Parts: sequence; structure tokens; C-alpha cells
Amino acid sequence: MFTKRAKETADACRFCWMCRHICPVGLVTGREGNTPRAKGLLVSMDVRGFPLEEDGMELMYQCSLCGACASDCVTGYDPRLYIREGRAQATASGLLPSPVRAAVDRALAGEPTAVDRTLKEAIETLPETAEVLVYLGGDARKEGKSALALFKVLKAAGISFTVLKDEPDSGARLGDLIGYVEEVRQAAKLCLDAIKAAGPSTVVVLDPFCLSFFRHQCAEWELLPETAMVTATAFCAELVKEGRLKLRALGGTATFHDPCHLARDLGETDCARELLGAMGIEIKEMFLTGNMSKCCGGPVLRETYPEITAKMALARWDDAARAGAETMITACPGCARILGENTPEGYCQEDIYQLLAEASEQ
Amino acid sequence: MERKAFMFNMVLSELEDAVGVENVSIREADKIIYGVDYFWVSRMWADKGCRPPEADYIVCPGSAEEVSKVLKIANYYKIPVQTWGGGSGSQGSALPMAGGILLDTKRMNRLIEIDERSMTITAETGMVFQTLEWYANQKNYSIMHIPSCLTCGTVGGALAHRGIGILSTKYGKIDDMTVSMEVCLPNGDIIHTLPVPKHAAGPDLNQIFIGSEGTLGVITKATFKLCHLPETRIHRAFLFQSFHDGLEAGREIVQHIKPSIMRLFDEEETISIIKDVLGFEKKGSFLNVTLEGDKRITEIEMEITKEICARHSGQDLGSEYGEKWYENRITFFYPGHIMNNPQMFGTMDTVAVFDNIEKIYWAMKHAVEDNFPNVRFIAHCSHWYEWGTMIYDRFIMDKPPENPEEAIRLHNQIWNAGVRAAMANGGVINDHHGIGLKLSRLMKEQYGPAMQVLEGIKKTLDPNGIMNPYKLGL
Repeated sequence: MFTKRAKETADACRFCWMCRHICPVGLVTGREGNTPRAKGLLVSMDVRGFPLEEDGMELMYQCSLCGACASDCVTGYDPRLYIREGRAQATASGLLPSPVRAAVDRALAGEPTAVDRTLKEAIETLPETAEVLVYLGGDARKEGKSALALFKVLKAAGISFTVLKDEPDSGARLGDLIGYVEEVRQAAKLCLDAIKAAGPSTVVVLDPFCLSFFRHQCAEWELLPETAMVTATAFCAELVKEGRLKLRALGGTATFHDPCHLARDLGETDCARELLGAMGIEIKEMFLTGNMSKCCGGPVLRETYPEITAKMALARWDDAARAGAETMITACPGCARILGENTPEGYCQEDIYQLLAEASEQ
Repeated sequence: MERKAFMFNMVLSELEDAVGVENVSIREADKIIYGVDYFWVSRMWADKGCRPPEADYIVCPGSAEEVSKVLKIANYYKIPVQTWGGGSGSQGSALPMAGGILLDTKRMNRLIEIDERSMTITAETGMVFQTLEWYANQKNYSIMHIPSCLTCGTVGGALAHRGIGILSTKYGKIDDMTVSMEVCLPNGDIIHTLPVPKHAAGPDLNQIFIGSEGTLGVITKATFKLCHLPETRIHRAFLFQSFHDGLEAGREIVQHIKPSIMRLFDEEETISIIKDVLGFEKKGSFLNVTLEGDKRITEIEMEITKEICARHSGQDLGSEYGEKWYENRITFFYPGHIMNNPQMFGTMDTVAVFDNIEKIYWAMKHAVEDNFPNVRFIAHCSHWYEWGTMIYDRFIMDKPPENPEEAIRLHNQIWNAGVRAAMANGGVINDHHGIGLKLSRLMKEQYGPAMQVLEGIKKTLDPNGIMNPYKLGL
């Protein structure tokens, strides 16, 4: 059953086409089903005698939950509400589309995210407790390089920090897979309890996807600790302003891809640009930037419908090319991975933390 | 033609072979999605939980060549083809009323060329119009086709319905902006209209296909004029004592200068619409004028506008209300602001010469309000020409019949009464939303014996009658 709020939202969206232009999935697939209004219509018809079946559920999953539609809606409706509830129903009623089933099974089995070996070794050397706790998130733990680069930056700035030895998943990815159900709340509680127990005064979150989940959904569940939680980009930008982090000019030109969760859900678009400016990197802005940023894929969509993610990433590279940039920088492990996997020949994807690490070397 | 036994699957295989397996759908969810467009009847039908009209095959070609293959298959088997762009049309012209093939054009979304020397832009027609406009904006140009459905509809949708944007008074309709087109005919032949729209080589083929609503073929590419982004865009609002005074001032303005936007609201809409969004509470007839282009020219145009409005006792409200309207121009169309189910409503936009427009307004208002209790009628004029103006008449019924079949009957009776009143007084059946399924039955009344011209073209190009049956009176 959909909640009253989800039904009202779907009823508002079902006859509204206004955000079609900004849906990154619909734009690359050309399928009418890949629009918020189509999903809203299906949900509205579900309660009018046309129950959602597996084909409709597939459309619920062919969405990166990037929030562009919600951001565009003048009235303030958020289609992600009924899309997530649709996913919860698909999971509960055995209507998961086949590409999604395996991902959900893995997630529900509590399969731990593999941690990059070098990163694991680096984490072992960190102190048990510190004023600053860095929360990495699953993608950063797996990929390793962004986290290792951030460690270098923090050390260069003289910050005493640590990372949870067995960092639990935030629940953000699970929430995107099966909706914001009890299992997800439990996962988030486990993670946030571990963060609280570490007793830091500041939590620096590397993956904006996780911080967005903490700030919004976990706050709604009243799980959020009182400890300050900031993005890694905001934290580094502050270090530069305070003069604690000194960066040398790397020069060059690039474009910056605003991660959806960072720009739209957390409302942060300036910090990364300030950092790039401090490294002497000239930014050639893409047309859809800031909170209008066009999603490059998203980790759950990448896992379930990689062919759609690849098209979205290429569309973003096309935006970069039109802006006259050959290098695209981002500040999200998920975006870095997707854009990196789909980099066209002659173009280069860079991670802001690795650039910061290089610029902070004296 | 009924497809018995496994014939359905034989056709399906051919379509999959033409456009790729992943680009053909026979799934139930897709059938529901493509069975509801912006047409009030289709929305009400879905709202009541009735089964939407269903296509048998949803086909998404990625190029004109693939469209050609699909149309050849459809012609051979005599399967109806309904073309779907954004599905945001209000006249029901994209709905698969005859079943068969629903041809979604949105995979055809490539930008072909921006020619900065000639100032033209060429793209495939499945592109969302806002995307095309953004491509132009990146180079500091605009197509200047800015309809309320800019973000919803496709390039092909605007062409197929002879669309119009809010800046039309200065820059024209989509048919004024089009340079040339590529069209896939019902028999699968891909043709091109002449390279330029101004010539003496017979009638302009562009104008045969623009507005044809998928009944004569599928428009697959189009080239449009580009304009420089204006150096300045300034707004001014005026309040007239009556709609009549506003109309006279508007007429005089467009017969002297070229505003980009000029919207005059009747007394009723001034209260109901403007108050909601702008917080504007005075009685009268509200006029919003926008001037744009070279700063020096617009300043002079503004002086002329003020002088004309003053001559017609228009109260100068300054720039604030006009700016507010411009900022909120899209707000009107989002849920919570726009009319929506369960209300019954319709936009009976018509256009006429100045001598007839006021007569039409009153005739339509009486035809609707006098014959249908509890139905309100509001209007504004938002697209102006040197010879006349469009009037955007709307009817609203807050509590329509619960029974969907009864509601359709009443809906069509109101439309018949309003549109017939317009046509009887020198108006046309529609200004810029098109005909579709909604007004198809009235086309012969509109054209009289001239309808044989359109019917002759239809018969020649589409002898099997497969292209968008029941639409456009063809």
C-alpha cells in the first residue's frame, strides 16, 4: 500500500509534464516510462484497479533518484517519494525485476562492501579516537583512492582524524534499493550509533550520497547525532580559508560536475569551486550546473541497469565537450566511478581529493 | 485488420527487426502510460479508473530510416500508426485510439547543426523543445519559441500542432520560425521540403506538414531560425476599465510597434488568475506588455506603449506586476496552480480579425454560460497580430458529472457550443493547440467545401488511412 502522501504526490504528478526536460534517464532512453509523470500515473492507477506488476516496477527502478524533478517542481512535489515506496512494494511482494533481484538479495544478505587493501592498511594506522571522524561510505571504501587522497590532505592540514575500523554501511544504498523501510532504518541506526560511540566533535562525510541520507531521512527518523556533520569539500574549503591547508597552483582548465546529492540535497555548489580556484584550475562551466546538474548515473542504477548509466555518463561527457572542457572533475566517489568507467577517448576524469592531495604536497 | 493467431507475433518480430528488440514494447505498464495524454477526457477517464486506450505495439525508432521501416511495415499490414512526442498535447492527438502502433519519437533527439552564419539550428524532432532551446542559448541565441509546454513537448509536437510561444507577437508562431523539414511519408519515403521557406516554386511544403498532427507522415528533422538573445527585456503592466478598452489599446500597440508579449485578461480572469499568483486585487482588465531587443529601440517602444495606453485610460501599474507575471509565467502550469481533475475545463483558443474578436468573446461567453449551469468562462488575449488577436477562452466546471460517459457527453456539448459560436462569428476552430481527437468532428464545419483540399492530400499520401485515424477530421 502506498502512503497517503505518496498517493497525493503521484496524483499531482500523473498529469504534469513540467519536469520531463530535466529527467536525465528519460532524456537518454527516450522512453515515456522513464519520466516522473509516467511513474506517477502508474502509482495512481495502482489504486484505481490497475495494480503495479513487474513491468511497472522495472520503471520504478529505472530512475537514479537524482532529485532533478523535485528540484524543478515549483509546487514542491517530490516523485522520489512514490518511487521509493514502489520499490519497497516490489521487494515485499516479490515483483522485483530480474536485474534488481540480485542486487537486493546481496544487500539484504548483509554482504559487506569490499574495502580496498591499501585503504584498509591505512585505516589500521589511524588512532582509535580523534576530534574528526571521517565517514567514507561504501563506494569510497571500495575504490580507495579518494579516501587515501583525503587522508593526505587532512594530514597536510594538521588535522587529527580517524575512520571507523569496520565502518558500517550508511543505509543510503539499501534505501534506494528497497525504499525507506524498517531494515534500512535499522542499518542507518547501526551506522549512526557507531559514529556516536566514536565520540568525535565533527564528522566529515566523504560521500555526499551518505550525508544527504543522514541529513534528510535519518533526521526524519530522529537518528541523527548532535555532532556536526559536514561534507569533505566544505571541510577542506574551510581549512583553506583558515590558512591551515596550503595549496599550490596546479593550473589547467576543467569542468566541474556537481554531484546531485551534494548540489541539490545538500545545497552545496561553491566549496568545490573554491577549492579548484585555490588550485589555480580554471573552470569551464557546463550548461546544466549547480542545482540544475544533470545526473551521470547513480550507484544503484549502475548496479541494476548499467546500460542506462553508461548513456547518462556519456550525455554528461557530451555536456563537458560542449563547454570546451577535456577534463571533468567531481567530488563524489559514485560519480567518479561512473564518469571514469565511461570516459570517451581524449577526455580525462579527475577526483577532487586526488587533486587536493597533489596540490597540498610541498 | 484483425491479426489472428500468431500474426500478432509475426508483426512484432518485424517491428523488432526494424528498430531493435529493446525499442519495441508490448508491456502493460507502457500501454497505460501511452494511453493518457494531456487531453482532459483521457485524464478524466484514467482518474475514474477506466482502461485507457491501448496501442498493440509501442515502437521507438532512433532515426528517420527506422521510421521509414516502421511505416512500410504498418502500410503493408494496414496497421494504424499514432505518433507520440511528449504526450503533452491537450487535444488528444497522440492517443492510440485505433490501437496498432504507437510511434514514440523521443529516441530521435540529436542536434544536427548550428549554422551561426545563417543563424539556423537543425535537430531531430524527438528532442524536447527545452533541450533545443538550451543548445541555442549556449551559443547566445534563442529560437524564441517559448510555450508553456517548452519543457514538456518535443520539437515534433510543436510542429505537428502549429504551436505558439509566449513571445509570438514579436517572433511569430512555429510555422514562422521553420526554415525546412525532413518528413517520412506514410509509404516510407523520406522527403525534404525546399532548403528555404521563401520561394516561388509552388506552395510551401512546410506548411502542408506543419499542423498535420501525424495524419500525413512523421516529421523527423527540422531547421529553425535563430535570434540573438535580446540585449534587454522590459515589462510594464496596465489596468483598463474594461476588456474593450484593453483590446483597443492592444490593437493600437501592435499596429505601431512589436511587443514580444502582450497579454490582456478579461475582467473575470483578472480576478481569478492574477490574484492567485500575483496577489493583485483591483478590478478591471489587466494588460501585461513586454518589449525586448536593442535597448535604445525598446525604450522608444515603451514610450509609445505608455502613450497609447494612456489614451485608452489605462492605469500605468509600473514594471513590478509585469516582471512578476514573467517570473511566474511557468508557475501557472504546475499542480496546485493549474486547473486539474476533478474540475472539467477546456481552452477554446480562437483567432480573428479585430472587427470580430469582441463579438466572438461575447458570443462564446453566452454560448457557454447561458447554456450550461455552473460553468464559468474566462479569457485573455495573448498572441497578437497587426490584423487581429487570439483569444484564449476557457471554461471551468468545478463539479462535473461523476459518471465518466456522462462527463464526456457534457464536455463535448460545451465544446461544440463554444467553438461553433466562435466559427459563426468569424473565428477559427483553434489557434495553437491543434485539433486532435477533441475537435476532429468540427473540421468539416470549419472548412466547408475547402475540406476536400485536405482530404485530397490525405488520400494521396495515406491511401490506406493508417496515419493517426480519427484525428484532424481526416
